[in-house]
Amino acid sequence: MQDEESLVRRAQKQDQEAFAQIYEEYFDRIYRYITLKIGDAVEAEDLTQQVFLNTLRSISSFKWRGKPFSAWLYRIAHNQVVDYLRKKKRTPAPLEETLVSGSDNPQRAAERKLDIEQVLAAARHLTGAQREVISLRFTSDLSIAQVAGVMGKSQGAVKALQHSGIVALRKALSVTKNEE
Amino acid sequence: MKNREFDNIFDESLERLLVKGESLEQCLERYPNQAAELKPLLETALVAREASTIQPRPDFRARARYQFRSALKETAVGKGHTSWGWFPRWATVMAIVLVLVLGGGGTVAAADSSMPDSPLYSVKLATEQVRMTLTSSQIGKARLCAELADRRVTEIAYMAGEGNTGQVEIITQRLDRHLALLTVAVLAQRGDEAPMLMAPPGEAAAPSETPTTDKAPPEAALAPQPGKAGGGSDDSTQNVNQAQLRDTLVSDAARNRAVLNTVLDKVPESTKAALRRALAVSEDGYEEALEALK
Repeated sequence: MQDEESLVRRAQKQDQEAFAQIYEEYFDRIYRYITLKIGDAVEAEDLTQQVFLNTLRSISSFKWRGKPFSAWLYRIAHNQVVDYLRKKKRTPAPLEETLVSGSDNPQRAAERKLDIEQVLAAARHLTGAQREVISLRFTSDLSIAQVAGVMGKSQGAVKALQHSGIVALRKALSVTKNEE
Repeated sequence: MKNREFDNIFDESLERLLVKGESLEQCLERYPNQAAELKPLLETALVAREASTIQPRPDFRARARYQFRSALKETAVGKGHTSWGWFPRWATVMAIVLVLVLGGGGTVAAADSSMPDSPLYSVKLATEQVRMTLTSSQIGKARLCAELADRRVTEIAYMAGEGNTGQVEIITQRLDRHLALLTVAVLAQRGDEAPMLMAPPGEAAAPSETPTTDKAPPEAALAPQPGKAGGGSDDSTQNVNQAQLRDTLVSDAARNRAVLNTVLDKVPESTKAALRRALAVSEDGYEEALEALK
């Protein structure tokens, strides 16, 4: 986001408009990130909302230390997910119809929904770090450098996790398809 | 060492496939020695990429926005514009001067029809940004957002035709923001709720400077301001404005759906997912805006 620093500083000064822009910029990405991390689109809704409420409460404590604001925001989302997974054990809800809407072709929409459901199911077989990298790269469109910033790892380590994560995902996807 | 080399090749191939919009075959041709190992991984990456089409349900999005807005109001100590009130005007004036001096009106006019792969495209975005900044009425902002959304769909169709998946995704994000801002402007104009993303009509002297929809640099020239029309205070004028806007949006939504669906049948497989996401964003965005106009 261009001028992200000035936008965040304005938000820290209680500028509602600046905060609202941050919200619009990141809302969908944080939602997708959480959905892939927990594999439950409905539960992800509450968690996403909580992330932004927490951000609103704590943004005054954010300090620029060479890392982008997004790294801090995804850290809040990550902690929210960890907290959720620690407290709750439940079967993920199926994808809502509207979640993958947007196509006039019902067959195409159904195929896409199936693909996403399989990816969400397969992602549960990944290690925590692999899932983190795949979520950040494929749902939030972060670069390797940005993911490295969020996770506090080197770019080389992130690339290695990306590779092993896709390998694991492929394996899990083939198992899912064979079970059908 | 070999693993690290392959990690780099895989990452570069992912960038080409998912961001730059190259086909799977093109990516594999670049690394014939690794093609056999790369192919299944890149195919899996394409499936994983479908996760980027996940969207919040419209009702959840609306509810979340409302709750967040309420929390924001409770938290805010003041309006927050005081210490920055000078900045938007200053930045806007500088942007206009810069473009007029450096580019001139001809550049801006030429940029107006440019596509994202053109060097003039950043001027086009900047011009739009300045127009938004200079539009004070909410109905004007809503109309401008509708116009910009329309432009974005044209650009998406063009870039999809070029097979540039990365650009389709980037422009889709802009489209999403235009349509979200359109809904907020409609709600603010109706007076149903306090505007969240734009300065209230009474505070038009301190308009938003920071790009609300695009990531373009602040440089542009003055352009016609559709937003200056309308925004009347009496009920009948407001009703007419809303009716006109509704007609425009219904027409835009139908046309853009048709455009994107037509392109969808022609683009490479690697671009289809991104284009479907654009379709979904377009559908949901117009639906939300029209709902707000009811």
